[in-house]
Amino acid sequence: MALEGLRILDFTRLGFGAQATLVCGCLGAEVIRVESTRVPDAIRVMPPFVPEPGERGEAFGAATLANATGAPSANRGGIFYKYNTGGKRSLTVDARHPKGLALLKELVAHSDVVTESFAAGTLARWGLSYDVMRAIRPDVIYVSMCGFGHWGPDTNHVTMGPTAQALTGLTFLVGLPDRPPAGWSFSYLDHVGGYLGAVAVLAGVIHRGRTGEGQHIDVSQLEPATALSGALLLDAMLNDRPSRRPGFPSGNRRAHPPCAPSGAYRARGDDRWVVVSCRTEAHWAALVGAMGTPAWAADPRFATVAGRVEHADELDALVEAWTSERDRYEVMEVLQRSGVPAGAVQDAADRLERDPQLAARRHYTMLGNAEVDELPLEGVPFRMSATPPHTGGRLRRGPPCLGEDNEAVLGEVLGMSADDVAALASEGVLS
Amino acid sequence: MTGPAATPAATTLPGALEGVRVVELTDESAEYCGRLLAGLGADVVKAEPPEGAPSRHIGPFLDDEPGPDRSLAFWADNVGKRSVVVHDDAEVRALCRRADVLVHTLAPAQAAARGLDFGPLHESSPGLVVCAVTPFGQDGPWADFLADDLVLMALGGSMAACGYGPGPDGVYDTPPLACHGDQAWRTASTYAALAVLGALAWRAGSGQGQFLDVSAHECSASMTEWHLMTYLCSGQVHRRGPHPTLTAADGRQVAALNPDFLGPHVFAGMLEMLEDEGVAGPLSDPAFSDPVHRAGNYREVWRALKRLAEKHDGETLYRLGQGAGLPWGVIRSPEEVLEDRHLRARGHFVELEHPELARSVTYPGAPFLAPRSPWVARRRPPLLGEHTDEVGSQWSDR
Repeated sequence: MALEGLRILDFTRLGFGAQATLVCGCLGAEVIRVESTRVPDAIRVMPPFVPEPGERGEAFGAATLANATGAPSANRGGIFYKYNTGGKRSLTVDARHPKGLALLKELVAHSDVVTESFAAGTLARWGLSYDVMRAIRPDVIYVSMCGFGHWGPDTNHVTMGPTAQALTGLTFLVGLPDRPPAGWSFSYLDHVGGYLGAVAVLAGVIHRGRTGEGQHIDVSQLEPATALSGALLLDAMLNDRPSRRPGFPSGNRRAHPPCAPSGAYRARGDDRWVVVSCRTEAHWAALVGAMGTPAWAADPRFATVAGRVEHADELDALVEAWTSERDRYEVMEVLQRSGVPAGAVQDAADRLERDPQLAARRHYTMLGNAEVDELPLEGVPFRMSATPPHTGGRLRRGPPCLGEDNEAVLGEVLGMSADDVAALASEGVLS
Repeated sequence: MTGPAATPAATTLPGALEGVRVVELTDESAEYCGRLLAGLGADVVKAEPPEGAPSRHIGPFLDDEPGPDRSLAFWADNVGKRSVVVHDDAEVRALCRRADVLVHTLAPAQAAARGLDFGPLHESSPGLVVCAVTPFGQDGPWADFLADDLVLMALGGSMAACGYGPGPDGVYDTPPLACHGDQAWRTASTYAALAVLGALAWRAGSGQGQFLDVSAHECSASMTEWHLMTYLCSGQVHRRGPHPTLTAADGRQVAALNPDFLGPHVFAGMLEMLEDEGVAGPLSDPAFSDPVHRAGNYREVWRALKRLAEKHDGETLYRLGQGAGLPWGVIRSPEEVLEDRHLRARGHFVELEHPELARSVTYPGAPFLAPRSPWVARRRPPLLGEHTDEVGSQWSDR
């Protein structure tokens, strides 16, 4: 695997940080999650919970402290499974115990990379500042990932995905004209921020390979997002066309390149939709043909791109009259076979059960652990011919139960015997 | 703590990928990959036909005047690269022999027809990493299907979860929405960059290149957070609807997340702030310190927050929430982000000279701060063919 032999001591929690080490784990790095039994990662104890066989779980929605404290175990939080594939191991250590801190320092000495996503300064207060870590391991690559990063006037600000999305313009860019933003209903920036966290780790590793140097790389959840609005930012600055203007954001319509029809159209069924997107004259001609060359399509107003864009509302209604009588997958299939870009609006159930492409590509990997049956889980969505990534990482295993690898990690990494580990456990160090 | 103040001199240090040569033969769907690699310090050379890459002809354009060197869409995703005009595929293959990485967006049949499939390239350049970014990947029943960003956002699941909620009758009267800015393409491009980095890390030891197959659909399908797990756990799927927002006195909206589940300190911090502001009302009742009571009476929490919002403008409300330890954020348009004092202090936005226009342009810069291998933001986007001669003389065979 690509990152064979790389060891990451991983203090990340929640989504953003854990997404970064998930990528590294899927590429073959040994990722050791350092956790606490006293304060487990919130997503370990937050609904939805992976149900026992035959039992029905509870939906996410009101993730209050009340139902978090009612968690059936620290190993059934569903969101934990999303962000902790990659064969991560779990080691529980009480960092407040002097022997716990000493243990962590020994592990730093044996690790290539240390990752964390605590509020700025937390790890330093534990006694593991970058200066302390590099005194132990001079070439350590320390990647910190908190909302605003460790440097700057607002470092004490905290983020979750939707916070960062609001502050960086991404919430604003989802909406219909002249209505409040609809935004994202999920933490897109937990993913994007996490990917850039993984980029930071890999760049640090490549730099160290060439120079022998470690460093402290500081990742925030804001900076990975500022380039995601693409040309809109430049258009605002250079052409005096701010995104905050009447009529914008324009729903699913895109001004560049000018194209119509393009958007989400109702399909048969309850709240079912299909996207059709004609970006070229050839797409439009193919769409007309696929619809059976209706008379209205010959309307001279629709003869050019400019005409179709100008009359997009009428055009959309005519296209929707055709799509709304058909199943969304049927529309997609018919149009694609004719050479028109089209796709069903799919939810999570569709992707798992009705998407033949994801199935053929083996997008999901069945993995479980000691407490949970096998589930179809996600890893990194790309293939590498010589060093194939694996959703179960180097261990080919599901996300870890809390503390399940204490003995294996301390034995393999620090050469401790089972008795040594048991002694530490009895002193409360491994909690 | 060592801060960026200690590192300005470091901006002249080489990036992590200094010396790595990348040939980019892509349409607009994957240019963001090369942008990331260029930021990491790679020498990214865009191989363009004489009329220029497709994105040079996509707007918006500077002053709304079209032209291959005036596309802002091109600028946004090609900053930091060099441009070489190629007249045939033999020239592309010659570039590849001198490169470490090829990133392309060719369908398998196209690549084969042009002599740019992995087999022959690997034969002549065993160390070459070849990354193909395509809508659906190299194989599978949809491999030949067509997709733009909108189609990928639909199939991947983002759209199903984004948009306005249903009306009072429970019926959705507005469509699922995709975020502007080509997010599925950007996600695929970012994964492509990760695949390239992984391949380069492995090549450092093995000397071997390999083929990377990036399906934009799979990338898009893997970025909807807990949606798959919710379905697996509960049999329910997420329907679309906005996150809770507060409307401030100036009409601005603030994303007001209250992650009660993180522990009792979250509500304690909020209550203190609401009491200081004189709007806590019934929340001061000790019963509310019990999370079970709170969960059952969350409407009162929300009412108090609305009373707070009526008193302050959006920026102030955002900072009040943050002062109480809450992950609140004011909803900004992209251009409003430029004013953020924190990003400014971190030196995030960079000014690059466009000598041909006798002006400078502001670009988003480093996605993270790496003092010993800093983000490289020195080159403005290339003019068409600007570096054809330069690269020809600088690049020798690998």
